[in-house]
Amino acid sequence: MNLLQKRHVLQSFERAKATKARKHRDTLPTWCPGCGHFTPLQALYEAMEDHAIESKDFVLVSGIGCSGRFPFFIKGFGLHGLHGRAVPIATGVKLANPELEVVIVGGDGDGVGIGGGHFPHAARSNFDLTYLLLDNAIYGLTKGQTSPTSPMGMVSSTSPYGNISKPLNASTMALTYGATFVARVFSQDRDECTKLIGDAMKHKGFSLVHVLSPCIEFHKTVTYDSVQDEVARLPEDYEPTDRVQALVLSESTDPIYTGLFLKEDAPSYLDRVAEVRKQFEAPVIA
Amino acid sequence: MKKQHATVRFCGIAGDGIVTSGKVFSGAAADMGLDVLVNDNFSAEIRGLGKSTTDIRVSPTRVRSMGDGIDALVAMSVAESIPEIKDITEHGFVIFDCENDPDTRKEHGLEEYIPENLGSFAVPLKRLSNENARSTIARNIVSMGALSYLLGLPPDIFTELIDRKLSKKGEKVVQRNVDAFMAGRSYCDEHYGPHTTLDTPKDPEPKKLVTGNQAVAQGALDCGLKFFAGYPITPATTIMEIVAKELPKLDGWMLQAEDEIAAIGAVLGASFAGKRAMTSTAGPGLALMSEMINMGVMSEVPLVIANVQRGGPSTGLPTKVEQGDLNIAMYGGSGDSPRVVMAPTNAEECYSGIQYAFDIAERFQTPVIFLSDLFLGQRTEVDRIERRVERDRSTRVKPTNDELTSYNRFADTETGISPWVIPGEPDALYSVTGLEHSETGNPNFDAQVHLRMQEKRYRKFETLQKELPKPQVIGDLDAEIGLSCWGSVRGAVIEAMDIAREEGVKSKMIVSMMINPQREDDFRAFFESCKEVIIPEMNHSGQYAALMKSRYGIRPREMHFPGVTPVSPRKIADKIKEVQNELATETPRLAIV
Ligand SMILES: Cc1ncc(C[n+]2csc(CCOP(=O)(O)OP(=O)(O)O)c2C)c(N)n1
Ligand code: SF4
Ligand SMILES: [Mg+2]
Repeated sequence: MNLLQKRHVLQSFERAKATKARKHRDTLPTWCPGCGHFTPLQALYEAMEDHAIESKDFVLVSGIGCSGRFPFFIKGFGLHGLHGRAVPIATGVKLANPELEVVIVGGDGDGVGIGGGHFPHAARSNFDLTYLLLDNAIYGLTKGQTSPTSPMGMVSSTSPYGNISKPLNASTMALTYGATFVARVFSQDRDECTKLIGDAMKHKGFSLVHVLSPCIEFHKTVTYDSVQDEVARLPEDYEPTDRVQALVLSESTDPIYTGLFLKEDAPSYLDRVAEVRKQFEAPVIA
Repeated sequence: MKKQHATVRFCGIAGDGIVTSGKVFSGAAADMGLDVLVNDNFSAEIRGLGKSTTDIRVSPTRVRSMGDGIDALVAMSVAESIPEIKDITEHGFVIFDCENDPDTRKEHGLEEYIPENLGSFAVPLKRLSNENARSTIARNIVSMGALSYLLGLPPDIFTELIDRKLSKKGEKVVQRNVDAFMAGRSYCDEHYGPHTTLDTPKDPEPKKLVTGNQAVAQGALDCGLKFFAGYPITPATTIMEIVAKELPKLDGWMLQAEDEIAAIGAVLGASFAGKRAMTSTAGPGLALMSEMINMGVMSEVPLVIANVQRGGPSTGLPTKVEQGDLNIAMYGGSGDSPRVVMAPTNAEECYSGIQYAFDIAERFQTPVIFLSDLFLGQRTEVDRIERRVERDRSTRVKPTNDELTSYNRFADTETGISPWVIPGEPDALYSVTGLEHSETGNPNFDAQVHLRMQEKRYRKFETLQKELPKPQVIGDLDAEIGLSCWGSVRGAVIEAMDIAREEGVKSKMIVSMMINPQREDDFRAFFESCKEVIIPEMNHSGQYAALMKSRYGIRPREMHFPGVTPVSPRKIADKIKEVQNELATETPRLAIV
């Protein structure tokens, strides 16, 4: 664990103590000290403050995994859902009460493995949700199996002779599915993380923040150092308005770009619902 | 010949207008003030060689089941109709197509299968349709004319109905269909003369018709449904289709999800946010939903799932009825996972029952599985629903100010019900989870905590049991033979009991929409008052009987009708008589052990 990471861990603990459940010790972050997930947690606290989001109006829906523990550490309402099902659950929350700020947190296994069937539909429907996909390229909570984003050749207990399937790229998926806000960030980079999470929450429509968030406990090859060596910020003059250009850059592996790939203004699902309902605004006779 | 009630069957293949025939005949019968029950029977294939039949049973008195056998068969195609002839009862008749005149009827292939004792009426359906409507498309309307004449029913109600149904298509279309209808009548008048006279009420009071699925949808909308998510599946889809149209008018929305897991997930989310939300599905979808239903149990989020049962297992028989999902509804979850299971027995109960399901789900913060079935969901019956429209209805237990100061989402109370704050309401932040948790809602795997929370979740069911309405006891209370059943079988059992009574054997029945929990004292007292108990149901393994056996220690006579067609009242009546005979001649075995 480097110094920066250590700081994020300590700060996360401090913040978690100030959550709704401070009287209960069982709500302090349960992750391995140094886990990549601490930074996005810290960043989420800050983004909520920056945008003055009231905790009573904040709902965090998560999947199952190390990443899935988020709801217990934040100040707001939490729904610790099922493995792979955070996206549809969050959809229900948002459609039932559009006033709520609904954020989804889940892992790579959760989001593009078991829950991979839900991701395209949330994106194409442009539900007004913010999705923090914490990608450590491994199944953390179940102790280190190969995940759908694991690199080829990766050796794990479930691929003892090396992974022979190509990894999925969550940012590219979101772009092809039609998401209207797609960003990638390295979890080390807290300020960028805070900014992107804030912008994602502000964005009206489906927003993906793809966080490269190393698992220090189980991953031998995707580590802070390896990621640090591979990532580069998107070029200064890049304009996040062209989906095809965004796809080209999100697919690049040398370097792996971070930053905002695409931000597109389009009506959200709820805008379209309102459009449909308009015709019934005259009193309805049952 | 005079007749009290009649069952008519239209039989043919896709394109023969079987569904329309059923709608016209049942609609006209209802307009004449008759009681009506319609059961459609389709193949799962959309077009092609799929056979389809529609049975319509009509009577001046209450029609409770499809009965046994049919009185008239309208054969729109030959091969498909041949096996139907055996269902025709004595003095019944067949209407079938002939090319030109009755002399060609033999060539047509159906006549040789019609026994002597049945009426056999060849009518040139295609030719008369061609002559009057300029195509063969109105051949079903010609057959309707013939049928109405042979049953001694007046023409005007039919022609008015044709006018009403087709007026949108213009006067010409209406006139052609009316002509086709009258041509069918006159042909029979010329060649045959009336066959039967069906009793019709003197001062007819036109009746409205409704299906079970319509009743479920309407009931839900009327008691404040705000969000629905679903995935199409026969025979539940019509519920989803109705709410898709109506919810946007009522400040709600129907989300067509990518699969059943997403559907029930979105329902769980909406319900967590405090709205009345539901989904509808059938067996394969219910299987996919089981993990989320479990989450509803553990995280105490209300879920209402209308499951319209079809033949199973697996993809099974999508268009045939079976009561095969009781076990998965009751037990289809990991761990000790108590859930409410209800089964409406007719359209009225589909309406009032789904409203009760929402009340229970919300008050007790629990999943409720509402088990309708294909027969009940799709059949058309007379609308006896008393509407109760209360769109802001809520049974949510809210916390007092005191409870709010140290709010625990899962407070362990005497009733087991914890006061419920919803997101957006201040001063009470919490998280819910499918993990075991303490009263706060935070994960906790302590043995003591698990024991306590498990008890709390079951205690809600004890509280509910005390609040439930009494089960219905029907029939002769002093009878030695008792019956029990669930769901749409109820109608056939009541009819069977009537038949048995007429034939000298008394019986009684206990039935409740509530399968789990149930008012156990009432059921136990009923069973103790019986020497023998008969349990008929539409499945192979006796799922309800197994539940009754384990819950009350009874040893019932089980009758299994493993689906495909609705239950036969005659067979149940015979069973009642058989058991009574045994009781009279043998020392009875103990019904209760
Ligand atoms: C239906 C189901 N299958 C399997 C599991 C076990 N399980 C829990 S977390 C997990 C994988 C977590 O990996 P990921 O989503 O990448 O999250 P991470 O722990 O890496 O943050 C699995 C397989 C489960 N909870 N539910
Ligand atoms: S196992 Fe990996 S992902 Fe899980 S908490 Fe530890 S470091 Fe983080
Ligand atoms: Mg992972």
